[in-house]
Amino acid sequence: MRISFVMVAALAIIWSWLPTASFAQQSNSASSANPLPQAEASPDDIEGGKMFATTCGFCHQDGGRHAGRGPKLSKSERSDEYIIERIKKGKTGAMPAYGSVFTDGQIIAILAYIRGLDD
Amino acid sequence: MIFHDRYLVGCAALAVAALVTIPPAHAQAPTQPTDAALNAEAAQNDWPTHHGTYKSYHYSGLDQINTGNVKNLEVAWMHFPERATRGIQSTPLALDGVLYYSGSYSRVYALDGATGKTIWAYAPELDEELVAKQTHSPYNRGIAIGHGNLYVGTVDGRLIALELKTGKPVWDTKLLDSKKMTVGFTGAPLVVKDKVIIGAQGGEWPHRGPIFGVDGKTGAKKWEFFTVAGTEEAMKTWGGDSWRTGGGGGWMPGAYDPETNAVWWGTANPAPLYDWGGADWKKSGPRPGENLYTTSVIALDPDTGKLKFYHQELPHDAWDFDSSVGEFVMIDRGGKKLVVHANKGGHIFVYDRSNAKIENVWPLVKNINFVKSIDPKTGELIGRRDLVEGKVDPPLCPAIAGGISWNSGAYSPKNGLFYRIGQEWCMELTVEKTTPILEPMAQLNIGATFKFIPPPDGPARGHLSARDPVTGAKKWEVTYPQPPLASVLATAGNLVFVPDSVGIVHAYNADTGEELWSRNNGMGHNAGIISYMAGGKQYVAVPAGWGSLVADEFVALYGEPFKSMPKNTGALVVFALRQ
Repeated sequence: MRISFVMVAALAIIWSWLPTASFAQQSNSASSANPLPQAEASPDDIEGGKMFATTCGFCHQDGGRHAGRGPKLSKSERSDEYIIERIKKGKTGAMPAYGSVFTDGQIIAILAYIRGLDD
Repeated sequence: MIFHDRYLVGCAALAVAALVTIPPAHAQAPTQPTDAALNAEAAQNDWPTHHGTYKSYHYSGLDQINTGNVKNLEVAWMHFPERATRGIQSTPLALDGVLYYSGSYSRVYALDGATGKTIWAYAPELDEELVAKQTHSPYNRGIAIGHGNLYVGTVDGRLIALELKTGKPVWDTKLLDSKKMTVGFTGAPLVVKDKVIIGAQGGEWPHRGPIFGVDGKTGAKKWEFFTVAGTEEAMKTWGGDSWRTGGGGGWMPGAYDPETNAVWWGTANPAPLYDWGGADWKKSGPRPGENLYTTSVIALDPDTGKLKFYHQELPHDAWDFDSSVGEFVMIDRGGKKLVVHANKGGHIFVYDRSNAKIENVWPLVKNINFVKSIDPKTGELIGRRDLVEGKVDPPLCPAIAGGISWNSGAYSPKNGLFYRIGQEWCMELTVEKTTPILEPMAQLNIGATFKFIPPPDGPARGHLSARDPVTGAKKWEVTYPQPPLASVLATAGNLVFVPDSVGIVHAYNADTGEELWSRNNGMGHNAGIISYMAGGKQYVAVPAGWGSLVADEFVALYGEPFKSMPKNTGALVVFALRQ
């Protein structure tokens, strides 16, 4: 049930997020080394919940609903761009950079999972 | 005449012998610990190896500082390392009045033990892009000294030798392709005879946790032991291809028993951490089988790297309660040669030192429900809770941070008591059936979501207890609102030092647990505390600095002072008696 919801949410976010990515790339050429993700999710990529449990749940407790080593993510007021940037680049001494580990589609799927979290 | 000639020759020979045997006025200071110092029960003037001596007592034979005068202990000097990301997590060493320690990014400092004056400092150039991708990074937990060198591992998979006197690099050997395998080195190496031995980090990392034996003089790799499927026997305990990414790193330094020529080492949990195979774990789930040699204590031949014997403390560890604790307390009792080892799940295992057969198992902590018990005669897990996909009910105890953490306890041969920190906490856990990770890559392999909660019998807390190491009989106990995460030090001055999580260093009477002295270092401790002699005076050195992965849990559990505690700073604080 949750996976179905996440898949729908992922697709919805990919849909709504595309123009933002294009704008970001156009407006900031200096960021071309770390462009925002392109929409390239495949059915295998968008199981954000499983990916979260494999990797992210080590620090973001209760599937991201509760603060632990990392902050609570459900109902986050951070922008999509901020969260994607943090997943890609990490934070020294606190969070690894996953920009070259996850595909852009997988990162979108994780974002979709986070946005779909209840408290 | 003949007599005269012989007399002259004899005098000349004596003169030459004198030149050879009598040290010159400017004798070279020792550049490596003696075998006698390494094999002793107590560290004396020096702290020559990570666990004090090979016997792993974390015990100083010095008694200038004692129960009668510890109230006069005050700060002698301090040192501040650069780039102390995630604080300081290392145990210093001391040799001939010089203190050596490492900080994050494998930076190493050699300091005058009496004054703190810098003798040399070394900062390796690391693969910063790789470091940014790692979870267990960029901290370093210790160094080793031997063969005139100082050895330090790096998170990008190298072991480096520095000339002890100057800090100049002697060799730099790449042992792991960390970009491909994810894992590197955070733990201290162990010097045994002509070898430097070091284990790779991590259980949740998809590699095979190798332990390496390296030639101390040349840096040449001499052997490599895979803690995951390292023998044909072990390969049969991993279903399918799960051995390829099984975790099992030996990330803390072990100890050496010269009588059996055995290096004792603890290994980490298998990956993924949380297995959904349930009771059918021998045949189903992501890693069917016992998963040898993860969550095990193994004895390796330091000359060849061959396995001599082992005991798997938790067969098919489904709870991340690994055996990585590096201290192997070697004691003789009633004609038996024993070794005592703490498992993360909260039990203390007592082994026969000659073959790793179980002599006893006893629980250090109260809140354990991953098993009903462990058979004290055989080590068999009784009533194990094997997990299936979905919410685990009731919550799992202890929590993922363990009933026992990776830093070391202490043992006093003076009163026969073993001092160990225990942790009481549990966690809500939901096991997720994750996509198998078949190739190593820079990511974790967890298989669950979880949340720390207090245990059923009270608040989440820690305790130091003084016990008989073989029976577990308790003599005294001190409770802390938050578990201390640093190592413990016992001394011949009848003192036990505990650096705690809020920043206070405590000194207790070793026999009674009465607190005799304390000082606030201003930030939590997560490193090793030692004692040594410099210029005829005893010092106690403790790194302060907060920010390990267990420490990171404290903000959500306890709020302040951890919410406001800086994580990326640290100081080495050295105490001595007031003049």
